Amino acid sequence: MKLNVGDDLKSFVIAPVTRQSMKEWAVFLHDPNPIHLDAEVVKAKGLGEKEINQGPTNVAYIINMLHQNFPGGEIDTLDSRFLDNVYADDHAEAFGAVTGILENNSGLEVTCSIGLRVASRGDVISGTAVIRLPGD
Amino acid sequence: MDLPAPPDVVGTSLSGSEPYVISAEENRALCRTVDAEPAADGRAHPIYYYIATQVGMGQTVAGLCEVCDFDVEVGPMMAGSKVTFSSPLMTDQPYLVEGEITSITRKKSRKLGVMDLMTYELRLTLPDKTPVLTTVNSWVLPRRELA
Repeated sequence: MKLNVGDDLKSFVIAPVTRQSMKEWAVFLHDPNPIHLDAEVVKAKGLGEKEINQGPTNVAYIINMLHQNFPGGEIDTLDSRFLDNVYADDHAEAFGAVTGILENNSGLEVTCSIGLRVASRGDVISGTAVIRLPGD
Repeated sequence: MDLPAPPDVVGTSLSGSEPYVISAEENRALCRTVDAEPAADGRAHPIYYYIATQVGMGQTVAGLCEVCDFDVEVGPMMAGSKVTFSSPLMTDQPYLVEGEITSITRKKSRKLGVMDLMTYELRLTLPDKTPVLTTVNSWVLPRRELA
């Protein structure tokens, strides 16, 4: 795989975000916060109309996107800034682009801008990732 | 108007007391929820950086909010999460969690009014203390009562 600064990464799409997934993540995270489980609670808090996807789940979509683009690579660093919520039934797209490539003794260190966007509301996460790729 | 100082919580330990183990079965279930293929070599999905440290630390989400004199029912919000890996996460491997609250800043936000931005660092290690990863998470704690 020949990489160049400026290359767009192949996006990873979750369509749609499901309530069943949120129920399972409440168990994984040991966090039964009702904003992830009950739309009425979300409405009562003035946070929207539907259940809010857990933030770490949104980061998992970005990790999937990185795995898809860098098979055999290892995530060195992932830095995510949360800009907005992802809601039940949203279609979310993890995306990225190569911003730097460093060659060292063990292979390549690839820096990427990363993010997650929702069709109706734009970017909901932005950040950076550094991936280690083994040498030939 | 000067805002009252935020709670004096910097340095509060978040170290866990029990090892955290990523079960292979739960990893498969988690991968299914995000349309990922579970690794065949025993590696866990890297998002367990967040789950293992949150579940394995010495506080629940509600407990961490309480430490910060904040009612979890008001709704903490994730502002950011950074992880640096030293090695991949593996299923069926015990991990230990150490960490502490590193900062809390009170400010006025145009969108949220008065809020505290609280940051904490958690470190995941093998039982022999070999580093596995470090994560730094930031939460927004809205303080509408101070608006």
